Amino acid sequence: MSKPKSKAKPTAGDAVRARKRKKLGFLAEMEYKKMILYPLVVFLVALILLAVNFPTLGIDLQGGVVVTAYGIDANPDELAKTLSAQLGVDVRVESFTSVDTSGIRVYAPVGTDPTEIIKILKHDYPNAEYTHSEVQPTFGKIAQQQGIRALVFAFLAMAVVVFLFFRNLVPSMTIIFSALSDMAIAVALMGLFGIELTTATIAALLMLIGYTVDSNILLTTKLLRRKDDTLDEAYLSAVSTGFTMSTTTLGALLVLWIISTSQTIDNIAIVLIFGLLADFMNTWVLNAGVLKWYLSNPARGGSE
Amino acid sequence: MKRRTRNLLLNWRIILLTLFLVGSVATLAFKPLTYGIDISGGVALVAQTEHPVDSDTMQLVVSSLQKRLNTLGLRDITVEAQGDQIVLIKVANVSTAEEANQIKSVIESQGVFYMEFTGTVFGTGEDVEYVGIYQIKSDNSWAVPFRISKAAAEKFAELAYGKKGWPVDMFLDPPVDSLMVVPDSVYRLMNSTDFNAEAPDAPTLMERVGKAFNVTVVAYANQSADEIAKLAEGKDKIVLVDVPQDLQTQLEGMNLTVRYVPRAPGESDHSLVVRVLGLYGPYSLGEGLTVGEPQQDVQITGTAPDRMTAEQEASTIYTVLKSGSLPVKLNVVGMEFISPRLGENFRTQALYAGLAALIAVLLIVYFHYRNWRIAVPIASTSLFEVVIILGFASLINWNLDLPSIAGIIAAIGTGVDQQIVITDELLSGEKTTRITRRASVLRRMGRAFFVIFASAATTIAAMSFLLVYFVGTLKGFAFTTILGVLIGILVTRPAYAEIAKYLLGED
Repeated sequence: MSKPKSKAKPTAGDAVRARKRKKLGFLAEMEYKKMILYPLVVFLVALILLAVNFPTLGIDLQGGVVVTAYGIDANPDELAKTLSAQLGVDVRVESFTSVDTSGIRVYAPVGTDPTEIIKILKHDYPNAEYTHSEVQPTFGKIAQQQGIRALVFAFLAMAVVVFLFFRNLVPSMTIIFSALSDMAIAVALMGLFGIELTTATIAALLMLIGYTVDSNILLTTKLLRRKDDTLDEAYLSAVSTGFTMSTTTLGALLVLWIISTSQTIDNIAIVLIFGLLADFMNTWVLNAGVLKWYLSNPARGGSE
Repeated sequence: MKRRTRNLLLNWRIILLTLFLVGSVATLAFKPLTYGIDISGGVALVAQTEHPVDSDTMQLVVSSLQKRLNTLGLRDITVEAQGDQIVLIKVANVSTAEEANQIKSVIESQGVFYMEFTGTVFGTGEDVEYVGIYQIKSDNSWAVPFRISKAAAEKFAELAYGKKGWPVDMFLDPPVDSLMVVPDSVYRLMNSTDFNAEAPDAPTLMERVGKAFNVTVVAYANQSADEIAKLAEGKDKIVLVDVPQDLQTQLEGMNLTVRYVPRAPGESDHSLVVRVLGLYGPYSLGEGLTVGEPQQDVQITGTAPDRMTAEQEASTIYTVLKSGSLPVKLNVVGMEFISPRLGENFRTQALYAGLAALIAVLLIVYFHYRNWRIAVPIASTSLFEVVIILGFASLINWNLDLPSIAGIIAAIGTGVDQQIVITDELLSGEKTTRITRRASVLRRMGRAFFVIFASAATTIAAMSFLLVYFVGTLKGFAFTTILGVLIGILVTRPAYAEIAKYLLGED
């Protein structure tokens, strides 16, 4: 354990960091105009995707009935036919599998009696575990409004705090915009991959505000408060830290997504993964591009 | 080296972390965590009041709902008001879907309660101040004592003066302001003295509900939907009782509110009337109450052919009186049922998923730095953080549900990020003389903590809105996120910085 102090710093770490910086060097060499342009294009594409293919609302936001049966291995299409015929309403059946169990989810319109569905299912699958939930459209509406309000307020609160910390218009606005773009891209990807907008995924979007602002704050702080480093050096050091941060979080989320069978946790994990991927671009390309452009003006901290 | 180690162990940040850890472990050992319905199993219901109510009324709704569910013999009930219209009801240990649905119908059948005499409402649920335990005597007679408000007692004394034996009716959710279309036999029954207790000269039930609730009863004689709609003009709704059902479709087509009540197989006219009106009674007025003296402590009595029936009748009226103190009608707008066995699965799964995520963090951090002296402290600091959050949760009896777990994940995620910021700032120093290095460590730590405080502040600001203003499940999420972030910046992050400085030789 005991080492002379002058050699206390682990040299292995240095080598690794040097390698990582080399790998990420291409980011530092990018022209800031392109750095700003590409993410903006992606943002626009996300907006267009949102306009044509907004994620569907989950039953907790629009009302409906879901019965989940765990421990069933069934053909969803056949089951949907049988159930629709017996209940007299159109139902949708989805199957899911996970590490240790598989099952089906039955989605039925508002007003269907979930115990009826369970009764029919129990006839064929007496040993399955059943859960059900139902939401009235009125409450769905309340939840929707609250979800939207939550997102808007949380976003505004974040924006105010960012302003208070940096007291600098351009860097603050960039952080705020990149958080907005992260969320837009995450929601667009949800639509693309058929992930429903639910209370849980709204929670995930709220989480994104916290996660994505972290890396942006790191970058902005490093670039604005750098003392003796050059702009590129500060940027590379921020990128390497940010890369470690993002991959760690992504890895943890991926594990969570693979292991959990709870739909709530699965959806939260996947939405965060979307958002973090978007954030990687928005922080290290867009935000960095704007800051480089902003700081290259000698009046604001000088260029090299 | 020895002095360095001692200095580290005596550092107040490390001591604080140790204290929090020991406290949390002790709390968890003595006070196990309580889990939300979505993890432990049970039923969660969201009920909405008919219209927004003030906070006093909301409080009343919550307490009477609690009472009502308790009288059903259910345990582990939490009833919580959120905002001015939403009530959250959680009942643990509900094992079947049918049982869950029963609870739902109980909450929905929570009607508005009226006490009526000679066509005048003298009290509502708000006037029932207290309901005593019912008694059953050996002759199978029963009594339910209760207390009504002073205002109701005075009104009643005036109304009841000299009217011994007259009928006192109680209603739970009668069809107020409606047109009732009933079969001829039901019409005749309602217009007879059958519901008059022991007072043939008292107004008939039809007269009483007409006066008290603006209910107009008409006999069905093949009227067309148009004719019925005309009769119902100015009324709130139409109640069709045991008449052809196609009338309902036709009337609803005219944008009218219609309630259709079919006759149950073998149901008599009498019980049909009782059911449609939500009628309890009529109870015959005892002599003691007819002398004009207001009495707040009153009781309802009856006799039954056998003890079991007596018990049933008494408990029904007991429950109605209790639940009757609900001042506004509730609708169940959302419901979630999780079987307890499944809940247990979720819990072990959440545990495994959490541990696996932690191991993933450990491995990825190691992969980045190729140094266990960084990876192990980062992963264990996260583990400590979870333990402290859970300790806090058990201390304040927080119900750990899935959104709360998501919140913990969020806090841990940002926690790891912040530890990486600290580590990288520590590692990025140039190898220079001790003095300048110390100054540069301080400066770089200052920068790291600026980043940490800024990101913590944004998260807390964003989440506190959720915690204060919003209903539903996002509250749990916001709470654990904020708790985790606070513990992070106040306890674990400073301690980690010290440990990292020690391990990386930068102190």
